Amino acid sequence: MADVLSVGVNLEAFAQAISAIQALRSSVSRVFDCLKDGMRNKETLEGREKAFIAHFQDNLHSVNRDLNELERLSNLVGKPSENHPLHNSGLLSLDPVQDKTPLYSQLLQAYKWSNKLQYHAGLASGLLNQQSLKRSANQMGVSAKRRPKAQPTTLVLPPQYVDDVISRIDRMFPEMSIHLSRPNGTSAMLLVTLGKVLKVIVVMRSLFIDRTIVRGYSENVYTEDGKLDIWSKSNYQVFQKVTDHATTALLHYQLPQMPDVVVRSFMTWLRSYIKLFQAPCQRCGKFLQDGLPPTWRDFRTLEAFHDTCRQ
Amino acid sequence: MGVTCVSQMPVAEGKSVQQTVELLTRKLEMLGAEKQGTFCVDCETYHTAASTLGSQGQAGKLMYVMHNSEYPLSCFALFENGPWLIADTNFDVLMVKLKGFFQSAKASKIETRGTRYQYCDFLVKVGTVTMGPSARGISVEVEYGPCVVASDCWSLLLEFLQSFLGSHTPGAPAVFGNRHDAVYGPADTMIQYMELFNKIRKQQQVPVAGIR
Repeated sequence: MADVLSVGVNLEAFAQAISAIQALRSSVSRVFDCLKDGMRNKETLEGREKAFIAHFQDNLHSVNRDLNELERLSNLVGKPSENHPLHNSGLLSLDPVQDKTPLYSQLLQAYKWSNKLQYHAGLASGLLNQQSLKRSANQMGVSAKRRPKAQPTTLVLPPQYVDDVISRIDRMFPEMSIHLSRPNGTSAMLLVTLGKVLKVIVVMRSLFIDRTIVRGYSENVYTEDGKLDIWSKSNYQVFQKVTDHATTALLHYQLPQMPDVVVRSFMTWLRSYIKLFQAPCQRCGKFLQDGLPPTWRDFRTLEAFHDTCRQ
Repeated sequence: MGVTCVSQMPVAEGKSVQQTVELLTRKLEMLGAEKQGTFCVDCETYHTAASTLGSQGQAGKLMYVMHNSEYPLSCFALFENGPWLIADTNFDVLMVKLKGFFQSAKASKIETRGTRYQYCDFLVKVGTVTMGPSARGISVEVEYGPCVVASDCWSLLLEFLQSFLGSHTPGAPAVFGNRHDAVYGPADTMIQYMELFNKIRKQQQVPVAGIR
């Protein structure tokens, strides 16, 4: 309101300034008129020159006077537009016919709305950056080339930290033995042996689990040249099914900010397979369905279900 | 190698051994099992030679030398309720050399032959047990491949056995109770076959003698 009022006070100065500008314009045009007309006919050449110079000087003086007057007035007027948060568009509030052209109120609403939008977008982008859905930096593809990519911190954990997390989990579950190896650089590979039931090969990227393969306890987990065989699947249908479910679990347990919790949750879930052949389905109460035992374990309750019995 | 249960299926009343086997295999095929060739388990009995008995002063123990088509390169030698060993098939030749200590019992060879079926992770072998020329009974072997601890999957095996044997479902084999939590091995299967063959031998002696 104060802005509006001060603008109102200065209105007189505005009017004077405008008339001063008009005066200046007319005096300037008089100067050019005088130049255009040149020397008028007089009796003598000397008389002509004198009259012309006197006339030209008069005109220049009046221009000078008008200019000074305008400068004085412009100081009076001040700079009302810069005080207003909406700059020049704030002057719209001076429009007396509010009802016909409610431009100013509309403008204010739009301004508030866009302010809020910007604020919320900023918050959202911050949150989304934290909860990145991309598990692997490689997937960024083309866009990664254009902008300098911020490597997710969880992908650059020191191997020592990964070792610590894994050995802690190993100690947590006595019936589960975890053997960690790094055959290909820094990425760890785990060979998890669960009781005398199954063996799981877990391929890690830092603390992210990239791939799991479940095989039988009696099945071979090494290739002929003594490396962990991370590609071929189990010969038994039941373990192929469990492999599928384990992959589902990988996608289910996601918490990019706390990768160690993810690994621990996954291992806890995996541990429930110790009773793979002993637990009947919690829904139908039977052991077998289509020749398979209950291969599904609920993510929350860890109860056993047949693949088709879970809902 | 998974946990295996070997049992005997009684011959259906008013049917021959062959007919009962057909009935059983048809049931399996209805269940969705796929035929996968044949199998054979044979067993020969040896007893300790009389010459060695006297000096040691112990009763003659029977030894069984068995082969299983599932392990074509191996030969199993078992004492009743005693130690067993798994050797290469050359063991048969060795037994010939050991004639002085172990003598083959005449006409003691007993074997079971039949069809091998696969259903999911189950391996089912239905065989006709023959001794000499005559069919003596029916053997049913069910193996569950993924599991290696017998006590873990017995309930599961039982449910599967019930699905096609019905009221003739056997109880848990004795070898299952022997070692809790131990890994099941091929020898455990052979012990079950040995016990089955012994049972069939004893069963058949009485009625056969009666008929004659």
